[in-house]
Amino acid sequence: MKKKLNIHILLFLLFITAGIQAQNTTPLIQSKLDGTVADDITNQPIIGASVTIKGTTHGVVTDAEGKFYFQTGQKFPYTLIISYIGYKKLEIIVEKNPVIIHLKEERQELEELVVVGYGTQKRKDITGSVASVPKANLSQVTSSADNLLRGAVAGVVVTQSSGRPGASSSVRIRGGNSITAGNEPLYVVDGILIYNDNSNSSAGVAFAGASVNVLSTINPADIESIEVLKDASATAIYGSRGANGVVIITTKKGTKGQDNISYQGYFGFQNISKKLRLMNASEWASLRNDVQASIGQAPSFSAAQIEALKTSGNYDWQSAAFITAAPVQNHNLSFSGGDEKSRYAVSAGYFDQDGIVLGSDFKRISLRVNYERNYSQKFKFGVNANYTNSISNGVGTNGGAGAGRNPNPLVSVLLTAPVVPIKNEDGSYNVTNNPYATSVNGYVPNPINDLDNTTNETKLNRILTSLFGEYKFNKELTAKVAVSGDVLNTKQNYYAPSNTTTGAGTKGLASIGERLVSSVLNENTLNYNTHFGENHKFSALGGYTLQYTKGEVSNAGAQTFVNDANTYNAIQDGVPVKPYSDAYESVLKSWLTRVNYSYKGKYNFTLSGRADGSSRFGSESLWGYFPSAGFSWNITDEEFANNIKGVTEAKLRLTAGTTGNQEIGNYLPLASMGSVNYSFGGTLYTGLAPTRLANPDLKWEKTNQYNVGLDLSLLDRKINFVFDVYYKKTKDLLINVPVPLSSGYATVLQNIGGVENKGLEIGLTTENVKTKNFAWNSNIVFSLNRNKVIEIGNGVNEFFPVVPNGSLLQQQPVIVKVGLPLGSFWGYKTNGIFQTQEEVNTQPKINSLANTKVGDRKYVDTNGDGVITALDKGNLGTSQPKFVGSFSNTVSYNDFDLNFSFQGTYGGKIFNALNQQLEISTLGTNAAATLNDRWTPTNPSNEIPRASSSPLGIVSERYVEDASFLRLKLITLGYTLPKSVSKKLGTKSVKIYVSAENLITWTKYTGYDPEVSSYEQNNLYPGIDFGSYPNSKTFISGLNVTF
Amino acid sequence: MKKIILTIILSAGSLTSCADLEVTPTSFVTEDNYFITQDDAVASVTAVYASLSLDPGEQSLFGRNLYFLTDMASDYAAAGVSATNPQVRALSSLNHDATSDRVQVAWRQIYAGINRANVSIDNIPKVSGSEVVKTRLINEAKFIRGLLYFQAVRLWGGVPIVLHEASSINLGDLKTNRSTADEVYAQIIKDLTDAEALPKTYSATDAGRATSGAAKAILAKVYLTRKDWPNAIAKSREVINGGYGYALFEEFQDIFTKTKKNGKEHIFSVQFEPNQAGNGSSGSTFQATSFTGFTATEPADIISDVALFYDIYATGDKRRDVSYAKQLLNPATGTLYTFPKPIFKKYLDLTNLATPGNVAINFPVIRYADILLSLAEAINEQSGPTAEAYELINQVRRRAFGKAITTPDATVDLAGLGQTSFRTAIQEERKKEFVQEGQRWFDLVRWGTLVTEVKKVTAKNSVSERNNLYPIPQSERNINPDGLPQNPGY
Repeated sequence: MKKKLNIHILLFLLFITAGIQAQNTTPLIQSKLDGTVADDITNQPIIGASVTIKGTTHGVVTDAEGKFYFQTGQKFPYTLIISYIGYKKLEIIVEKNPVIIHLKEERQELEELVVVGYGTQKRKDITGSVASVPKANLSQVTSSADNLLRGAVAGVVVTQSSGRPGASSSVRIRGGNSITAGNEPLYVVDGILIYNDNSNSSAGVAFAGASVNVLSTINPADIESIEVLKDASATAIYGSRGANGVVIITTKKGTKGQDNISYQGYFGFQNISKKLRLMNASEWASLRNDVQASIGQAPSFSAAQIEALKTSGNYDWQSAAFITAAPVQNHNLSFSGGDEKSRYAVSAGYFDQDGIVLGSDFKRISLRVNYERNYSQKFKFGVNANYTNSISNGVGTNGGAGAGRNPNPLVSVLLTAPVVPIKNEDGSYNVTNNPYATSVNGYVPNPINDLDNTTNETKLNRILTSLFGEYKFNKELTAKVAVSGDVLNTKQNYYAPSNTTTGAGTKGLASIGERLVSSVLNENTLNYNTHFGENHKFSALGGYTLQYTKGEVSNAGAQTFVNDANTYNAIQDGVPVKPYSDAYESVLKSWLTRVNYSYKGKYNFTLSGRADGSSRFGSESLWGYFPSAGFSWNITDEEFANNIKGVTEAKLRLTAGTTGNQEIGNYLPLASMGSVNYSFGGTLYTGLAPTRLANPDLKWEKTNQYNVGLDLSLLDRKINFVFDVYYKKTKDLLINVPVPLSSGYATVLQNIGGVENKGLEIGLTTENVKTKNFAWNSNIVFSLNRNKVIEIGNGVNEFFPVVPNGSLLQQQPVIVKVGLPLGSFWGYKTNGIFQTQEEVNTQPKINSLANTKVGDRKYVDTNGDGVITALDKGNLGTSQPKFVGSFSNTVSYNDFDLNFSFQGTYGGKIFNALNQQLEISTLGTNAAATLNDRWTPTNPSNEIPRASSSPLGIVSERYVEDASFLRLKLITLGYTLPKSVSKKLGTKSVKIYVSAENLITWTKYTGYDPEVSSYEQNNLYPGIDFGSYPNSKTFISGLNVTF
Repeated sequence: MKKIILTIILSAGSLTSCADLEVTPTSFVTEDNYFITQDDAVASVTAVYASLSLDPGEQSLFGRNLYFLTDMASDYAAAGVSATNPQVRALSSLNHDATSDRVQVAWRQIYAGINRANVSIDNIPKVSGSEVVKTRLINEAKFIRGLLYFQAVRLWGGVPIVLHEASSINLGDLKTNRSTADEVYAQIIKDLTDAEALPKTYSATDAGRATSGAAKAILAKVYLTRKDWPNAIAKSREVINGGYGYALFEEFQDIFTKTKKNGKEHIFSVQFEPNQAGNGSSGSTFQATSFTGFTATEPADIISDVALFYDIYATGDKRRDVSYAKQLLNPATGTLYTFPKPIFKKYLDLTNLATPGNVAINFPVIRYADILLSLAEAINEQSGPTAEAYELINQVRRRAFGKAITTPDATVDLAGLGQTSFRTAIQEERKKEFVQEGQRWFDLVRWGTLVTEVKKVTAKNSVSERNNLYPIPQSERNINPDGLPQNPGY
């Protein structure tokens, strides 16, 4: 039945196209008019304003000096209509030539058109919670579009997982809803729906480290606007993909008027914002002596040697890993314009960023064509095409400290003993001489050599293209068909030479891999707009969409090479390691609709919904239904509100609805068999074992969301205030529910859990000063979210997510527990240091540490049973901040403008696993300088324990640190050349600027940077810092020219 | 232009009509295309064996995880400085509780293997192919199931008996209550008795599969554990006299030599091969945890007390230097390196010290020396030391000292002992013979000497009678608290 209906719509659209005809008009030439359009306060000319003669189709556009010219058949007096984005539309009667027209800037919060799902709406009519990213935010130095959301919109939290160029971020809109499935928002780029799954940029190549951000394939310079849809009324039209919020990205389009050529470019450099304080050679030698004493060995450094190391023989491995003044540059050239019938924007971009860590960089070339043509007055079509090619060299930083073959070099540089030389006297890397490390095939680990000589390359090619045709039957009914394709190809190359830590054991290790993800989307929509009399406005949208995605991935590798000459390019020369390939496909069919009704513009109602059929769901639940309802009331349109002093506009919004999350992975409802090996007679044979039970009922996760919002404009819109409170309850959460192990399975994936998010958001935009020469605008964004797990299933109240890292796996730092937020840290409270043997004998000790001695750390026996066991662990806080905020300012004085913005979070925690590692004393590794204050009989520290050999990592409150910070995120000073000067240069406008990012950060966090998450987008263990790539301070100077 | 628009819309139309919501996976095997041919049956039983040696992301059952329970929590082995898991240290000091992750993982791995065996036993009858091969495969699965239940019943007492794969994801279908130990033993004896129908031997390419001799040998151990002396004696004799060709290696070292895998002394061993668990990794982690290179860093697995367990070997007893290494030749320097404490050596591949993950030394689940000592023990318990019993233990001793195995040798032979002192002699012999072979804790529990023996090690003085069983994992009891009452003392 549904298929039939769909075919009917298509047939219908076929008929539409048959009726397309071209139309043309030609004005009569009788009189002329010269005019200028300018801002009423600054008197600056307005370029590109549209001027039409009322009652005709004759219109022109102002030039670079704000001038326009008419030759017209009309006689004076006649009425001109002048409009320009951001200014109040003006109708004036002209009586003679020439004319100077002043436009008044419109503080038109409620009049502007806002991009919403499958269309646009006047802000005044909107019932849902939709926020736009301020224009000033769009000009940040970043390789990736999602970073532009940072601090821009209330309710959106962006956490950069790594400072590596091109690295991924995690974006949470109104908190995380899901435990197992994806929590990233849906991105809609020029109508193409994209889930930002960063695994798409990985071919699974060995040890490749953090994935490259898939959104880096969209050039931020091409972005015209970003809208964030937050509540159910706004996102329900995206159905099973709406639950995590929706980010709509619109790229720059041409506008009717003059052709513009513009160049935007900048050069800059980056430095690490902070280094960690480690022990120097002399301090370390004395620590090692103490460690040796603790296990009854003779000290290896004499007092004289320790003294001598103060002046020579100290090697700073940490500094060797970082590059000073790593360059970054960006160039964009764009051509845009349009005439009566066509609009175009063509751009090319080049971005090149060296990382602040040795061996890392990111380069991108991007090309874009956006074209739209009115084939006739009824039919228009267009294309948005984007191609990007990027190459990124990464550092395998997400492996934690894990010893063995795949250490994180950024941790290893901190742990390498400072008495070991980095290089030999001949300038080559020292890979043979380190008495404190184990040599493998004659090579000792040298992390600087690893960083410099390991190839770890990810190349992305993406084509993102959509074609659309739109037919207007009449003023009321429009049909649109769009087909888009998204092809993402990833190629990864990895080679660890035989003298690197990873390559030593295998005499070289090569790995190559490829992933191809292609997706085709077809969307067919009908739009109907009408009004009954003056009072009743009605619009309806209906559509059918279909998206098909196919992914294929393969990788292969080899080891034991004769030499390192051919790296990954000749894997046939080595001994093969097991290859891998996989393929998957998914289909999503959807019906969608939205109905808006507005009474006198005062009362607005929106009903929207979507039915999604997804191949990812079980056979018993293929289709999901996602309805929403919204109501808004423009209070100031009521008579009683007319006289409230100072209130220009006030609007109340109430919405409720259901959205879903289908990011659950492919084929999960099916039982599967996994391959295992066993050898008979010395030969390995493949066996197939059941890996999971079938669950034909498996389906989407479901979020019910309720939102109350208030929009308030005061003092002639000098102050604009947006306030939202919301409650979200997600149920049917996909959870690997623990089942009795005696069944042979540990877990079964079921829709069983629940998570709750509630919060409030405040956005405040103010125009503090506005005079002829001076203006100052501010934007304050504040949001808080409270997240809580409400159900896990099968009567289980808590579980410890498996953190994929040797030592953290056992420490179990993170808990998922009913009543606590996701990402809660679980561990011991500390209680100073054992100072006497009597304390050791009488006070509670960790029962598994049989040899507790004086100088060891005490933990709190919270249950009072006399021993410290796992039962004494408790909640140490969550990585989710109590609130986040930002404060952005734009100040302009004559031709100068200054932008600066502060961002901050308060109340979140980070598990500083790196510092925990650095405070573990061993015989072979360097340690944090805090260990200089370690307990000794003569230095009875009550904070730092005694030196001992390889004490265990224990999750305690010492390493769960306050991640609150306030940061001067961005400061930009720009100067726009006066018109007279830029004209002489043959340009329309010239702007030069200097900018600094991350200039100052105030925080108590002791690691590199409080904005960190070693495990990328993971929902279960965010906020762990285990040697992530640190953030940088960036300084740039740039030039924008329009010709 | 119109054509283009038509094309767009037509292609959209064709796209719409061809897509179906039911997608068929192409990259993995599902229930629908499995258990059709004999090859599927063979693959399913291969997976049953693999449950002994492979568990991605974990240390495999016989590759080390069982060792924590059967050796580290006994007297001679301890958690060294490099053991970073507090749960491992807790086991070493006998302070573990029901939340112990090692206990839980062992439980999980045992039942994962039982489930794979159940899946094979349930489904093999329906595949096409030779009935002889199908029956053999089912009996192999029953052997592994019996072996795993035998481990489970000794570790936890009466455990849930699950004999079929789960039929749905409903909790009711997945929960099973504890049975009594007698019921579990009855099931073990049933499975192993069926497995006695297995072939006596296989071709060289199938070496390592369970044989009828293996089934009888495990049965002998079952009866010995049950103190059913007549049956233990009978089954042991069937192994010895059944024409299997089992014999002791002349050299004790050969038991742990790669090239002597599945040799005459090996009755059933868990097979380890390079790259079994992925690139550069077999399922065994013993080498990595016994040897940390030529450094003073103490490995994760280490002898608990040198005087009590290393110094006890008489001069000339070759078992000491096969079981432990006080010194080792460093191939890089060509010099002997002396360790602060003797390290475990049975699973070190001295030819391959660089890639410890790829060690290919099998784990002997049961070998001929164990049958000889078991028979001697059963005879002694039933009737005191007989000449046969003396010959059995003396063969093991003669081999240990490098003497001719069947030639009486007064320098090493035991003689003139009473029942009690013979019992003690057997106990001493097993202690020296089976270092790191998953026997010690079972032996001590069987003899009822766990607490007295383990208490001799200072760091293990937390041992108490509760340690004769392990706790039912807390996670398991959270889901089924009524059906899984906890063992005493936990």
